[in-house]
Amino acid sequence: MVAVTEDPIDVALVLRGIGTARTGGIDIFIGTVRDTNEGKSVGSIEYTAYVPMAEDLMRRIESEIRDRWPVENVTIVHRIGLLRVGEISVVTAAGAPHRAEAFEACRYAIERVKADVPIWKKEFAPVPG
Amino acid sequence: MRSVTALFFGPVRELVGAGSLTLEVNPPFTGDAAFEALAARFPPLRAWRGSLRLAVNREYVPFERVLDAGDEISFLPPVSGG
Repeated sequence: MVAVTEDPIDVALVLRGIGTARTGGIDIFIGTVRDTNEGKSVGSIEYTAYVPMAEDLMRRIESEIRDRWPVENVTIVHRIGLLRVGEISVVTAAGAPHRAEAFEACRYAIERVKADVPIWKKEFAPVPG
Repeated sequence: MRSVTALFFGPVRELVGAGSLTLEVNPPFTGDAAFEALAARFPPLRAWRGSLRLAVNREYVPFERVLDAGDEISFLPPVSGG
């Protein structure tokens, strides 16, 4: 399941959707907004996306994963809009019979998202006061 | 001439000041020719050329790609999602 969403990402919901009877291991990566970037302090980040292309590519990433690892379920969700420090920007998750595949598939997903999915961030300084 | 729709995102969108424009592309109608048409209107874009990726109809393609009238194209700046 892949999605670009403006809504807060519900990690519990992602986890409920990942496991199956055959799943022996689930790996989940949760990316969050942090308060510094390249030495500058950050108060919030605005994410924008070329949504149709982003979702097309996320679907392709999922099929690449399914071709390569015996995963049962894959989730790739990226949030767009204005996010504050601590909020969740992206979640990738993979469930597989064994942990090694779950770790590798989950890591592959987030690396591909960061390298190629057409999403951009713009940092904003903290608002004083 | 072939006219294509160019969409803009991220820092390129800020530089162009619009989300999309119609571009008239000259022969040989390649991604490079489309970039030339755009850079002629927005010279500061030239500095970005080395880091831009071309998408045509939502897929990454080389700049040598020949465009068809009505294609949806975008010169995508380096992505920073995640």
